[in-house]
Amino acid sequence: MLCDTSRKMKANKHLLLWSSLAALGVLIWAAVDENFYRDWRVIQRQVRARLLPSQADAFAIRLRQIVSRDTGATDRCVSCHVGMAPGESGIEGDRLYGRHPDVVHDPASFGCTVCHGGQGRATSTADAHGKVPHWPEPMVPKEYSLAGCGSCHTHLSVPNLAELQKGKLNFEQADCLACHRMDGRGGTMRPGGAGGQEGPDLSRVGATGFKQDWYEHHWAQKKKAATGPWVSAFGDLPPAQRGAIDEYLRSRVGAPGLVEGKALFHMPELTAVGNKDPGQVSFAQVPGERSVANWLKQHFRAPASVVHRSGMPELGLTERQIDQLTFYLLSLRRRTSGETLWPKDRIRAERFGAREFATDGATLYGTFCAACHGQKGEGMRYPGLPEFPAIANADFLRLVSNDFLREQIKQGRPGRRMPAWGASEGGLSGEEIGRLVTYVRGLGAVPFEGDSQPRRWAKGDLAQGEKLYTEVCASCHGDRGEGKVAPALNNRVFLNLATDTYLYKTIQNGRSGTSMAGFGAGSSVRRTLTDAETASVVAFIRTWEGKK
Amino acid sequence: MNQAAEKPNATEPPASARFIENLKAFPNRLADTMFRTGRPQSDRTRATFVFGNVFLHLHSVRTHQWSLRWSTTWGLGIATASCFFILLLTGVLLMFYYKPYPEVAYLSIKDIHFVVPTGRFMRNIHRWSGNMMVVLVLLHMARAFYTAAYRAPREFNWLIGMALLVMTLGLSFTGYLLPWDQLAYWAITIGANIAQSPREVTDALGITEWFDVGGLQKLILLGSEDVGEEALIRFYLLHVMILPLAVVLLMAVHFWRIRKDGGMTRPADAEKRLGSRVDGVYPVFTAAPEKTYSLAAIVKGRTAAVGEGPEWTLPSMPHLMFAEAAVFMLTIALSVILALFLDAPLKEVANPAVPENPAKAPWYFLGLQELVAHSAFMGGIGIPSIVLIGLALIPYLDRETEGTGNWFGGPGGGPLVFRSVIVGLAAVVALEALVIRFGWLRQWWPATPQLVVTLLNPGTLLTVLYAWYSLWCLRRFDSTRAGALALFTCFVCGFIVLTVIGTYFRGPNWDFYWSPSQWPGH
Repeated sequence: MLCDTSRKMKANKHLLLWSSLAALGVLIWAAVDENFYRDWRVIQRQVRARLLPSQADAFAIRLRQIVSRDTGATDRCVSCHVGMAPGESGIEGDRLYGRHPDVVHDPASFGCTVCHGGQGRATSTADAHGKVPHWPEPMVPKEYSLAGCGSCHTHLSVPNLAELQKGKLNFEQADCLACHRMDGRGGTMRPGGAGGQEGPDLSRVGATGFKQDWYEHHWAQKKKAATGPWVSAFGDLPPAQRGAIDEYLRSRVGAPGLVEGKALFHMPELTAVGNKDPGQVSFAQVPGERSVANWLKQHFRAPASVVHRSGMPELGLTERQIDQLTFYLLSLRRRTSGETLWPKDRIRAERFGAREFATDGATLYGTFCAACHGQKGEGMRYPGLPEFPAIANADFLRLVSNDFLREQIKQGRPGRRMPAWGASEGGLSGEEIGRLVTYVRGLGAVPFEGDSQPRRWAKGDLAQGEKLYTEVCASCHGDRGEGKVAPALNNRVFLNLATDTYLYKTIQNGRSGTSMAGFGAGSSVRRTLTDAETASVVAFIRTWEGKK
Repeated sequence: MNQAAEKPNATEPPASARFIENLKAFPNRLADTMFRTGRPQSDRTRATFVFGNVFLHLHSVRTHQWSLRWSTTWGLGIATASCFFILLLTGVLLMFYYKPYPEVAYLSIKDIHFVVPTGRFMRNIHRWSGNMMVVLVLLHMARAFYTAAYRAPREFNWLIGMALLVMTLGLSFTGYLLPWDQLAYWAITIGANIAQSPREVTDALGITEWFDVGGLQKLILLGSEDVGEEALIRFYLLHVMILPLAVVLLMAVHFWRIRKDGGMTRPADAEKRLGSRVDGVYPVFTAAPEKTYSLAAIVKGRTAAVGEGPEWTLPSMPHLMFAEAAVFMLTIALSVILALFLDAPLKEVANPAVPENPAKAPWYFLGLQELVAHSAFMGGIGIPSIVLIGLALIPYLDRETEGTGNWFGGPGGGPLVFRSVIVGLAAVVALEALVIRFGWLRQWWPATPQLVVTLLNPGTLLTVLYAWYSLWCLRRFDSTRAGALALFTCFVCGFIVLTVIGTYFRGPNWDFYWSPSQWPGH
């Protein structure tokens, strides 16, 4: 028994000894790791080793951070990228450990993650770069780093790409690059002759503003000069060209890629693409790097290959366009920062309701209408969906007034795919709708033929009208006019806006290019409706007015 | 005064010398005074040290040899208490940096993880010993059950132990919300919805409007309709103050009662099985001790030690102390090793607009969540209540004495437990397989009223099956203990299987998947 007791005691003592040693060992290792092997410590030691001796002495190994109350940044990125910490220079000329390149916003006061994304509070490489699970905002890839601008500059007045390129072309044709620098190009000549002052860099002129009378100003300068570029390079510009150049200058905010990507987004052939939560996307079918950028690119190339049963069509984009769109989507990482920091475009858009892209008819149409009604108003067919009507159809435009179009856009077709776009619903102002109407009218280039009749004039035999409707119309428009392959006729807004003349003439003449043939003319396959019969059908259709 | 100064004692050295001497003696004196009765160097001084020390006197001076066997307790109780101690220590450290306010809370955890010296390590330790404490408290309860340690006179201590179990789960659950990440937010949302689940019954009866006990429970838990800042501050207060205080209090009572109830349970033939007595090594108390029992005269009843020779005991110091210290250090070692290698999870910041799919409760509630999928009320409230009430009643229903202190003791014994494991596992696996493969009432008859599903769902069916089997055992062995052994074992099996299914095999929309790699990407 004695030996049993002491054996047990000994076993307990051993257990105590070894578990104490294990705990102690772990604690020591944790302390060593904490004090010597944290990522930022290792990197700072390496940086110090590469510094000049005089600098190395002043270089302290410690955590560094940029805290900005305004942008809400607590960014410890500078613990590794030490050269970018306020008041430090790091390794001269080194891209990672040297100074931050000169940019519009000083990183010392704005922080890093505002533009670059990533996890500012982290102090280990993978965590900081956001390449870990559960950090929703990985760093913006360096080739897209200007997309970071979009997080605050959520609203940039940008025309669509065609307009933008027209402006750029004009700018270059007018030889502005001779004296001015623009996005890193041009500016080789000195307007005042050799040794004279350079022409101002215009890369950010959209943000800083420019004189509205720059043309007159230039002209005055040209008159004063006798020789040099003022005489040789500057010439007469017609107002249209000046307007295009103005538009182009307004878009120059120091982030050409962002502007181009956004401009492309507003091109008529592109539909709106939803923003995805990057934490939720599946990379199973994405070849290459597992980054959001790569996912987006593959998604633009072949939507269905990354998103199972995606309804998005393959857009047939060029690689460059794919790049620009990826760039644009990456810029949609809006941030909530204090309004005092908001750029003026954003305030204009969010507080004064100004639209963030140019509001000419073409851009509006491209952004809001083209996806369904086609780039030229020719209508669209998507697999599995009824056809979207061709609104540039001459037979249609001939019969509708501009008021019809305006009200139609404003009120939409309740219960159907056409939403209401009025100021209180879809957010288009009356003026913008007016521009859209003009643009749509221009697409078909057909004026309203006019209507001398009152809005409601059709009278007829309702019973006959119903019989005829069931016989010839219901197969496409539905038994109760609810619409099948053809548009719904019992729609409240439609019945209100369509005059009897519109209905009558559409039945009689049909609509070319669609399955709706005219019932007034003879046909070997379908019944012909007499004038009285047509009027009866119209009168019958009217009976739905006011009903559900 | 002056006179005294003029006549210094000739035999005494001068004051300056005495001062130096006292200074030299200070370390020894400090030790002596610290131990009150002198340093514990002999068995007697060790004994006086144990009962003279405010912490150690929770132990009796001498410990029965049976209690010192590893297999008596496996040290589970001490390990649980050690976890609690570690949690207190690391928890207080975390409180220096943690800020209980939505968003800010998340950022403060990020700071603790990335910047605070040893912050990540401390948080990991806190997390792992928290989980270990839940596991250990369950194992400790199983140990107490299987050795029939709940029997007289320890019935009430079993109840205190159960209260401690519930509080441990409460502590873990309240701590779950504090990081304010997606994991936390949606786990607590599920928990809160479970609290609201009596509404399922009141809705079915159409009386929610007048009697919304579910809604009230959720409101009390969250302080609001949704998990928000009110819930966070509430959970924080519970986690760092109310529950720890209550646990400390109850733990003190729990420990104190162990001693007052006569130490560890031991079988009646413990002494025989221990073999020959240790003679001559330790002082053997005489049958007629020279001790007065003045207190015994005014206190009714008798203590557990009366009439029993203390010869089978060993001095608690050092025997028990070393055992306890060993378990304590082993627990610490385990939690720091886990903490070194495995980081506590932290997901995206809580976002009420983006529900997690699947949103899972803390792991120890996943068995319940598996049942909740059918009936929130039965899975979340009904069956847990039945289980808790059943556990609480065990010591009062099982008044037998056979097998006390033995593992799986009692009529039926080990073979019965083994058969119960088979029955328990088979029932739950078969039922789950049926539900996963063929669905349940709603999939068969979509119009089934909620009240029917509430009464008849896999959870209730399993409970009835287990109860029926346990009754059968009770009658077969003609023993309540046999019934209890069967029922407890079955429920443990059910708990484990359901928890494993809920943890590893449930994916988005609570659908069954063999592995997370099969979860749909979108």
